[in-house]
Amino acid sequence: MAATATGIHHRSYTSELRLRATRAEYLRLGLMTVLLLVLPFVLDNFWLSQANLILIAVIGAVGLNILVGYTGQISLGQGGFLAVGAYSSAILSDRIGLPTPLAIIAAVLLTAAVGTFFGLPGLRLKGLYLAIATLASQMIIEFVIRRWDWLTLDQGYLNVERLNLFGFQIGGRQVFEQQWYWVLLLLAGLTVLTARNLFRTGLGRSFMAVRDQDIAAEAIGVNIPRAKLTAFAVSSGFVGLAGALTAHYSEVVSWEKFTLDVSILYLAMIIVGGLGSIAGAVYGAIFMTLLPELIRQLSLGLGDTLPFLADQLPAVRNAVFGLVIILFLILEPRGLDRIWQRIKDYFRFWPFRY
Amino acid sequence: MSARSRSLAVAMAAASALALSACGGGGGGGGADSDEAIPIGIIADLTGATGDVGKPYNEGMLAYVDWRNGEDGIEGRQIDAMSNDYAYEVPQAEQLYKQYVNDGVVAIQGWGTGDTEALSGSVARDELPFISGSFAEPLTDPEEAPYNFIIAPTYSDQMRIALDWISEDSGGKSEVAVFHNDSPFGEAPVADGQKWIDEESLDLGYEAYPMPSGSQNFVGLLSQAKKQGAKYVVIQNVASPAALVAKDIAAQNLDMKIVCLNWCANELFIDSAGAKAAEGHLLVQPFAPMAADKEGHQDLKEYAEANDLDPATLGTSWVQGWYAMHVMAEGIEAALKNGDDLTGPAIREALETMGPIETGGVVGNGTVEFSGDSHRGSTATGIYRAEDGKMVEIEAGASL
Repeated sequence: MAATATGIHHRSYTSELRLRATRAEYLRLGLMTVLLLVLPFVLDNFWLSQANLILIAVIGAVGLNILVGYTGQISLGQGGFLAVGAYSSAILSDRIGLPTPLAIIAAVLLTAAVGTFFGLPGLRLKGLYLAIATLASQMIIEFVIRRWDWLTLDQGYLNVERLNLFGFQIGGRQVFEQQWYWVLLLLAGLTVLTARNLFRTGLGRSFMAVRDQDIAAEAIGVNIPRAKLTAFAVSSGFVGLAGALTAHYSEVVSWEKFTLDVSILYLAMIIVGGLGSIAGAVYGAIFMTLLPELIRQLSLGLGDTLPFLADQLPAVRNAVFGLVIILFLILEPRGLDRIWQRIKDYFRFWPFRY
Repeated sequence: MSARSRSLAVAMAAASALALSACGGGGGGGGADSDEAIPIGIIADLTGATGDVGKPYNEGMLAYVDWRNGEDGIEGRQIDAMSNDYAYEVPQAEQLYKQYVNDGVVAIQGWGTGDTEALSGSVARDELPFISGSFAEPLTDPEEAPYNFIIAPTYSDQMRIALDWISEDSGGKSEVAVFHNDSPFGEAPVADGQKWIDEESLDLGYEAYPMPSGSQNFVGLLSQAKKQGAKYVVIQNVASPAALVAKDIAAQNLDMKIVCLNWCANELFIDSAGAKAAEGHLLVQPFAPMAADKEGHQDLKEYAEANDLDPATLGTSWVQGWYAMHVMAEGIEAALKNGDDLTGPAIREALETMGPIETGGVVGNGTVEFSGDSHRGSTATGIYRAEDGKMVEIEAGASL
């Protein structure tokens, strides 16, 4: 990631350190803010629930991108870490009686600790080997949440109380999605801002140094083991937050929501969105969450002319899912983020090509 | 950012806010006023892991809706049933649920244990009566799941009846292996079976074996059961994997008798295994198959004949779907007859207070009945044996 965009000249350090440099960037930020603020008033409850799922996915995808995209540590354990966040927050708040915000914070810290533990093989392993080691973490956590009956008091699943934040209780069917939207929007916004700023700090830059060339990074003084483990901790912390929010939002926790499929879905999000880009993680979360629903709507619309689509919807959905990933890998490995960059560059440099 | 560009951003923001707000929109809904169709959501498994029985179950429900609408609906109102495939994936079920809530349905027909349990909290908070293909015991407790209704004996009840039957059949002492789907559905009756053996002091050995999904044979699992000395294999799974077990038992020439519970106790099990491999195995099935020819099968037969279907080919899962929808429709009818607005709480109240729902001998011992204390519609089940490729009734309405 270039530190500054081509063609922009800074005259002071303050100007160079800004997150946004051009007028167009402020304009887009303004538009996006308005869009996000107006969304709950124009969407119906179903589409708002999709927006809420996207916001949770944004938090999880940003977390995973810190580890995979920025630090170069492959992880197939996302589903497991989400589960740690979900189960611990649900148990701490509902069974132990901790106030929900505290339970969520504790869940974040616990997931960070578990993530760090499972990140230990990363000190010795790279690439495919590390991928398999993190796959083991997914399997182990899945085994624990399926077989340790005391987690769910022999019930197999956990019912979670409706969210109560500092005395404010989320309401019923009519306002449920709207109220959750504000909570999730705030947290997703904070997550994006935190992650964006993380990579302007020495710690974040050490993550990128490890990714780009670990031997060179060590030569310039980066403590590689510490950087790797911190990356696992920070990333898992974000993922734990997404897991905790999943539990409180869907109000039930069962192991079936945290399988390997979920790990793969999140990897797909950051690949399609753009590895090593916070905006990419956001685009990927939006795209991959909406894709199945858009295919469903399309197949319902085309049900009369192409009944095969409606009859075999889940298979079609899986096939499209696979096809999208393959097409991105071939046509634009740097994902939606790069496509968006290119569109912006085209307009910025027009009529010149570069 | 200069002051000029900042004010430009603010102006753009305000303009787009106005534009977007003008687009309008807002909540779905769809009320339940007097002449409107009654919207019911169906979460169906047509192509997922349990699709072999899920598809006919869904067809049975839709056939009932079609038949009932042809009979002038419920109190003159048509039923508008929306059915969508969720492929036995919990997140998809949740997605569909949200869609149905947004569409303003008054009740929901679900399917699997995992997703029914996952949704039980939401249906309680949204006050939507929920009947499903899952007969897991925790769903019968109105304190735990106030809007879930189970129209048949629970998996645990079926397991208890099966264990009593095995105890009697074996002369009081035997080893039982439980092969179960490796999911909440499969695990539902396992612990209760062990508890029953302890409570009743039955002299039965009891081991549970999860069946790996996607297995092409169960020889490995059977050899473990053989090592245990099992003479009976209780299967809590759907028909296709259970039929594989029957084939493997026949191929290995093992002296074991299968006792299928509910979702594998059907014609599909016999057809898939082949009459020879299925011969003599036992089927615990709370819904009488068409072959049992009960009074309650008459409407199904007439409907099938009128729609160019051969009644003999309607499987038990199809019958189960028909009667799941029948029970829901009867509840809705009772709510309307009470003069209530058609809401979730009114339907729940009607189901709890309307007394027995007649099924013409098809479900359990003939009737399904709920109360404010229990949403367990029946505790009785038929027991059948596979003979010459047919389900032959050996006991009707067996109960504890």
